[in-house]
Amino acid sequence: MIGLRQRDDLRDLRPRFQAMVLVVLLVFLGLLGRLCQIQILEGDHYTRRAERNFIDVVDVEAPRGRIFDVEGRPVATNRPAYTLYVTAWARFMRDGEAGVVPTPEGKRIVMDDETRDLIASLIDFVDAADRAEFIARIEELRADELEGKYAQIARRNLDWDEFARIQARLDTIDPWVEIRESSKRYYPESQLVGFVTGHMGNIGPKTLERSRHLNYRPGDRMGKTGIERQWENYLRGRLGRRARVVDARRREAQDAPREAIEALPEDTDPIPGQDIYLTLDLDLQRVAYDALSEKLAGGVVVMEVKTGKILAMVSVPALDPNLYEQPIPSAQWQAWAKSPLKPFIDKTVQEHFFPGSTYKVVSAIAALSHPEFDPDELIECQGYIKYGGRRFRDTHVHGEMNLESAIVESCNTYFYQLAVDNILSLDRMEQVARSLGLGERSGLGLNGEVRGTIPTEEFEAREGTYQGGVRLNSAIGQGNVKATVLQLAVLYAAIANGGYVMTPYLVDHIETNEGKLVFTSQPQRRNDQPVIDPVDRERIHRGLVGVVNHEDGTAYSERLPNIVVAGKTGTAQVGREKRRVDPEADEQEEQIEGWDTTQDHAWFAAYAPAGSPSIVVVAMVEHGGIGADAAAPIVMKVTNHYIGSTLSETDVPLRAYGEPPPLPGQARRDEAAARAGIPTSGAAP
Amino acid sequence: MSGLLGQPRDTWGRVRHSIDWVVVLLAFGMIALALINLNSAGKGDWTGRVATQLRWVALGTGIMFAVTAIDYRVIYRVAYATYTFAVGLLILVPLVGIKVNGARRWLGTIDYRIQPSELMKVLLVVALARYLHDVHAKEVRGMRTLVIPFAMVLVPAALIINQPDLGTGVMILLVAFPVLSVTRMHLRTMLGAGLAGLISFGLGWRYLADYQRKRIDVWLDPELYADDEGYQTIQAIISVGNGGFFGRGVDQGTQNVLGFLPEPFTDFPFAVYAEEWGFVGGAMALTLYLCITLWSINIASQARDRFGALLCTGVAALFFWHVVINIGMVLQLVPVSGITLPFFSAGGSNVLTMMIGLGILMSVSRSRQWRS
Repeated sequence: MIGLRQRDDLRDLRPRFQAMVLVVLLVFLGLLGRLCQIQILEGDHYTRRAERNFIDVVDVEAPRGRIFDVEGRPVATNRPAYTLYVTAWARFMRDGEAGVVPTPEGKRIVMDDETRDLIASLIDFVDAADRAEFIARIEELRADELEGKYAQIARRNLDWDEFARIQARLDTIDPWVEIRESSKRYYPESQLVGFVTGHMGNIGPKTLERSRHLNYRPGDRMGKTGIERQWENYLRGRLGRRARVVDARRREAQDAPREAIEALPEDTDPIPGQDIYLTLDLDLQRVAYDALSEKLAGGVVVMEVKTGKILAMVSVPALDPNLYEQPIPSAQWQAWAKSPLKPFIDKTVQEHFFPGSTYKVVSAIAALSHPEFDPDELIECQGYIKYGGRRFRDTHVHGEMNLESAIVESCNTYFYQLAVDNILSLDRMEQVARSLGLGERSGLGLNGEVRGTIPTEEFEAREGTYQGGVRLNSAIGQGNVKATVLQLAVLYAAIANGGYVMTPYLVDHIETNEGKLVFTSQPQRRNDQPVIDPVDRERIHRGLVGVVNHEDGTAYSERLPNIVVAGKTGTAQVGREKRRVDPEADEQEEQIEGWDTTQDHAWFAAYAPAGSPSIVVVAMVEHGGIGADAAAPIVMKVTNHYIGSTLSETDVPLRAYGEPPPLPGQARRDEAAARAGIPTSGAAP
Repeated sequence: MSGLLGQPRDTWGRVRHSIDWVVVLLAFGMIALALINLNSAGKGDWTGRVATQLRWVALGTGIMFAVTAIDYRVIYRVAYATYTFAVGLLILVPLVGIKVNGARRWLGTIDYRIQPSELMKVLLVVALARYLHDVHAKEVRGMRTLVIPFAMVLVPAALIINQPDLGTGVMILLVAFPVLSVTRMHLRTMLGAGLAGLISFGLGWRYLADYQRKRIDVWLDPELYADDEGYQTIQAIISVGNGGFFGRGVDQGTQNVLGFLPEPFTDFPFAVYAEEWGFVGGAMALTLYLCITLWSINIASQARDRFGALLCTGVAALFFWHVVINIGMVLQLVPVSGITLPFFSAGGSNVLTMMIGLGILMSVSRSRQWRS
């Protein structure tokens, strides 16, 4: 074996070693050069890219403006909530020995089915459809790698249980799921002002497409009805932006390097939404709601006669707007949608009804505008009138009637006769009705207000319903005459204030979050000159006072002991409307206790105090029966509360408690009438 | 030099004299930087990887001095035996090896495992050195003398590539190349061998696994695969660039601290280092590696005999290629592979292999003083 016995002569290897040294030097020089290129020459470029890695700019949701009543009591405010964000294409991480490290590839991995189902299992779905919707949202993000790379809203308003459950499972679903704090809408008065505040809902894809300039994001909430919808742009506020340092999992870094924090762009604070102060008085609203909710369905509007400020606005049945902050089970939704009580419909503006006898004031004003009409001429009421081979019935035989007593006793025959005599033509009535705000939207702009219908000759001809009898029916607020509760409030306010049609409004003023005034409502008249002649107005006013205060008045039984109220009852004949040829729906109607569709709609429209009217109150009870029995008590409760709580005894001529109301033909009546501002001459028959 | 001064009498003096302090200084310079960097990579977790690495360094240091103490003629004697032993281990790997991250490269248990392919690098150098030394002594020349050493290189390389671990397999070839070149082999023979290597690589291209070919594609244009295989390449170069001239400072590199840089312990510790220490630190580390390489070549050129010279050349090659390929990978000059950076990469096999190499270096260095 050849060993290592002696020293070798290695001089022959010297050139090779020299060559090696040269190669080594050159290669290291190359590495150094490359290092120089990346770190010194292109260093800034890579620093930018490093910043792009760790700087995450997140939206900061602006707190939505709150809504208050006239006294500053909140009716819509915000509460903290949790929002679930999902990153469907997360950079996949696995647990290493020293915490979470990326996979060798740092690969984006789309959320798998098991994870999706695991997340879904942690959420309380109200029903299968709700779950399907959530899964569909996840699928949408899984299908779209570009959007799915970023945390997207998957579900809002998680409750605390869901939050805790998800938080506990973050170890397995972490890269894909994040929970951020947010806020949700809260309505402390629930259904009491539900239709006025309206409710929130998810922005629809169409709205999102149409309102690109408004910077909505998919999954955002927006006002869907009521004030929430009408004043969305004021309430919404503007998104802020906050830059944060995130780690590779796009979670906010706990102790980020100082330089990273310094590299963050400046934050933009969100601009909070503006606070809306309503003209609504919660106390009055509650009185109206409590009174009306004894009935199954209907509406009440209370308005200041001189300004058009709405003080209360109630529709029954009403849903709690807080319900919309969570998904609603579709079975529940179906039940609501099918309910004949129509809980989605705001009965004050969104549906029109026959006004019935409350419309007689329009007929009266129309008649008074006819040059040949004599309001004092007596017309005999035999309890019916024959016209065109048909019998037009009245409630009973009223005897001899003039205009005023026809209003007081709500005599149909009197108005039939005026229609037969062509003193009340459709077009004449229509002209007056329109000038008093009927057949037009009131301008409140809430909840998809309907116009109602006021027929003209042309309208009837077009509809193919024109017969001579239509005129007769129209004269007593039937036929094709339809109006909303709000329109009648505007109409009676116009009679009360001497002929001014007011544009009703609900928003008193708007303030920024810091209390700076940005908007104040001003009362708006639709007309500069009174639309009713003062003399005519007095006649009708006398009639309306008589309705409540004359012993023959239809609402005499409902008079208040200490306040003189002027008003008009209405009993709109609807009979049994076969709206649908649907036995199931009919069956449903029969199941509701006390819901009798053979009953008429009950109306009462009134203003008070009669001497110097301050408010108008209109109540309508669907299928409530006789107006005086079903609707008038509601109006009286509201009126009593309002007058009793807002005016002191010295302000207004009030009748002493327990004192009988003035009766026609008595000295005391004249005195009282004088105090109430009614001329004593030409009193009711 | 020491020969002129004469051998000191006392034991400590003799020990002090027989140790090549340049190697020790360079080694612990690198180890110090590496440990600080490993601490950074682990985001300040001293108890975990750093402690483990310290244990390996301590063991490695022991082995380094033990190898130094061994007369390298003993190494000469056991050269073939250890080589055969290592090949035996390599054969065992596919049979009883354990799988980590989908590759079967280790023997032992998950916690205490060794990678025979790492050991192979050093033992191949030793065996090659002995064979080439013997061939030279017998004055045999020509192509025939290259058949056996080529076989000695290709057998373990093939076994390793088969694991599959293309990176280490290629590394075996690269380390062997300078050793083979420090013979009196003709230049044209060497060129021929190189050409043959290139041709075989070209032929082998179609036999590469998909992921291996993908790595080359990624290397050529990582941005195309930014959300996928290119992610780590891109993040590594961003880390380096983010370091700038002076670096971000220890524990201040966002790429590493915030977890954007994958594999900061094994494949990309230099990216962590370059981000924190900047160009200044990078140049410093490169200089240390350059010095150890050049010093190895220096010792080789002054070695007592051909065996010693070949050993040192092998050690130089070991450092050179590991540094060039690992840092080249970070700087996107070569495709990504699992080649570690000496001392910087966490793991026992890496430390032990390099420490054995340094031990051999010091042993040969010591032999320069022998009078024979």
